[in-house]
Amino acid sequence: MTTTALEHELKEMIIETLELEDVTPDDIDRDEPLFVEGLGLDSIDALELGLALQKRYGITLESEAESSRQHFANLKSLAALVESRRQK
Amino acid sequence: MTFRELTERPWRHRSAAEVFAWIPPAGAAPARWFTVGEWHARIGAWQQHLLDTPNESGIWRLFEPDPIEFSAALIAIWERGERVVLPADNQPETLANLRATGVALGAPPPAHEDDAPTELPSRPPRWSSRSLPDIAVSLYTSGSSGEPQRLDKRFDQLDAELATQASLWPLRSQLVVSQVSHQHIYGLLFSILRPLCEASPFAAQTCRYPETLRTWLQSSRTAGRRIILVSAPPALSRLPEALDWKPVSAALETIYSSGAPLSKGASDQVHELLGKPVHEVYGSSETGGIAWRIQRHGPDWIALPGVDVRHDEDNRLWLRSRHLASPDQWQRQADRIALTEAGFELLGRADRIVKIGGKRISLTAMDRALATLPGVERARTWTLQRRELRLAAVIQLTPGTMPHDHRHHRAMVKRLRRALAAHFETPALPRYWRFVDHWPTNTQGKLSAEIRQRLFRDLEDRRAPRWLGEHPHQNGWKITLEVPERCAFVDGHFDGQPVLPGIALVQWAMQQARRLFALRSDFAGLERLRFPQPLLPGDRFEMTLDHRHGDANESLRIDCDSQRGKHVTGRIALVTRQEWER
Repeated sequence: MTTTALEHELKEMIIETLELEDVTPDDIDRDEPLFVEGLGLDSIDALELGLALQKRYGITLESEAESSRQHFANLKSLAALVESRRQK
Repeated sequence: MTFRELTERPWRHRSAAEVFAWIPPAGAAPARWFTVGEWHARIGAWQQHLLDTPNESGIWRLFEPDPIEFSAALIAIWERGERVVLPADNQPETLANLRATGVALGAPPPAHEDDAPTELPSRPPRWSSRSLPDIAVSLYTSGSSGEPQRLDKRFDQLDAELATQASLWPLRSQLVVSQVSHQHIYGLLFSILRPLCEASPFAAQTCRYPETLRTWLQSSRTAGRRIILVSAPPALSRLPEALDWKPVSAALETIYSSGAPLSKGASDQVHELLGKPVHEVYGSSETGGIAWRIQRHGPDWIALPGVDVRHDEDNRLWLRSRHLASPDQWQRQADRIALTEAGFELLGRADRIVKIGGKRISLTAMDRALATLPGVERARTWTLQRRELRLAAVIQLTPGTMPHDHRHHRAMVKRLRRALAAHFETPALPRYWRFVDHWPTNTQGKLSAEIRQRLFRDLEDRRAPRWLGEHPHQNGWKITLEVPERCAFVDGHFDGQPVLPGIALVQWAMQQARRLFALRSDFAGLERLRFPQPLLPGDRFEMTLDHRHGDANESLRIDCDSQRGKHVTGRIALVTRQEWER
C-alpha cells in the first residue's frame, strides 16, 4: 500500500520533532506501532507529539484524551486522526 | 486540621458514607464519588486474597497502578502486620531481580496482560489487634553503583514527613489528582498517604495527559472540590498553550512538582496558563523531602521544617532530618549545594546519576549493561540536552560487527535498544548512538568534552558529517565519517534515492583539513577529482587526507572509501590565504 502525502508529512514531523537522527521516512511502517516495540517512542515523545499536532494542525485532543492517544498507535491511525480533526 | 498519623490507622476512623475517591468521567459516564464504605470492602477483598495466597516470607511485592486497589492492598498487608515491597516499575528485569523477594500482588507485567487476575470480590474488612510491621514499605531506587538499592521506611519516618506536609500545606478536603507513580516515594506520600492521613479524596486514576487534566478540572467544579495537582517536570513543562485553561483554572488549588528541578521557563509558563504557582519539592527516595521552593518567589530552596542542611568543603550536601532512618545523625548526600541568603541552590550530583523524564538512571549501570551485550567492547553514555534531556552513547564494537550503512546501523540500534529494554524504561534508552572502531580520545587518552562535542556536532550543524574518529595515516590522516540521515546537503536532492552530492565531500575535506593540518589556505579548484559513485545517507566511510605543499602548488589529496567502493579520489588545489588577500 502506498503512503499518502499526509502520512509522509507526518513521518517527517515525527523525525524532526523527536530528533530521530537515524530514522528516515522509509523506516516508518504505517502499520507498525510507533511506541515501544515498533519505532521505540516513549511517554515523553507522546507529549511532544501532542504539542506538535497542536502547533501544526491545530488539533486539540481535549476531553477524550485517552482515546485520542490510541490514534498514536501507528502512522495510519495518526493520519486518520489528523485527517478528521485538523483545523489548519 | 484533620491529620492522623499512619500509626493511628486513619483508615479505620472514617464513616462509611464519607467520600474516599473520585471516579473521573469516562465517555458518557459522569464522574462519581467512591465512598469509604466501598473502599473498606476493597480492603476486605484484599484481606481474603492474602489469606488465600500462600506466603511463608510475610513479604508482599505490590505493583498496582490503580490507586484504589493499591491503597486497599497496602492497608490489607499492614493490617496483617506484614511487609510490603514496592517495585519501581514492572519492567521484566526489575521483576526478575525481585523474584526472590516475597510474593507478587497486583497487575501482571506487560505482555502478560491477558492473564490479569479476575477482580477480587468485595467483602467487609476485619480489623485485627495485630501490631503494624516495623517496616512500612521498602522501595527500590538505583544507587550510584547501578544496583537496585532497597530502602526501608519505618512508620515514624513516613509520619514525620506526612505531618510536616499537613502543617505546611493542609489538603483541606480538596481533591488530589496525581500525574506520577505511587510506586515511588513522592507519589506514595503525596497522592496516596497524604489523602489517607488528611481524609481528603484522591482521583481513582492517574491523570496522564494535559487534556485529561483539563476535563477533570472542568468536572471537579461540579463535584464542589478544587484540585491539588501532584505532578512532575515532564508533564508540567509540556502544557499545551492551545488548550483553553482560563475557564477551568479556578478549579485548581495547588500544584506540586518533584522528581527533578523544573526549569524557570516552564515554571513561569505553568503559572501563566494555570494561574497558580508551582510548589517544587526537592528530595529523594533515600532522604524523603528535603526542601521546597516557589520559583516566582526566588530560585533558592528552603529546607523543610525538621530538616537541617549544611555542606562540606567539596560542596557535598549534609543532612539531618526527621525523614531519615537515624534522625539525629548528620549524613552526607550525593548532591552538591551552595548556601545562599535565602536557602541553598543545587549544583548537581557528585556521582553518575541522572534523571531522564523524572526517573533516576545510573549511567554506570547503563554503561555496564551495554558493555555486556554481544558485539560491544566498550560503552560510555552521558546526557545530551537537546529539546529534552536524553542519553547519548558511544559504543566501541568488536571488529566485524560495525554497521556500514543506514539499514545495518538501524538494525544495530534496534538490537541494542531492545536488549536494554529489559533493564531500563524506554525514556532512559540512549537516543543518540555513535559506533566507533577505536575508542576516541584526545592526546591525553581521555574521551574529553571536546571529543564528545565533536562526536555529536552534526546534531547542531546540519551541514556537518558525523565524525567517528581519526588516526594518522602515512603523511596525512584517515578520518571515519558517516553521512547523517538528516544532513542538509542530502535533503531533497533527489526525491527517489537521496544521495550526498560530491561537492559536500569537498567541503567536509576542507573543514577537516583546516583542523588537522592547521591549514591556512583556501580552496582554489578541483584537480582530477573523480566521484565514481555517490554516498548515501547513513553510509559510513573513510576519508583519507594528505596535505602536500611542493614547490609552487599546494594541494590536498583526498580519497573517500566505503565498503561499497570508492566515492572520491583526486586533489583539491589550494592557495595560501596571504596570496589570496593580496
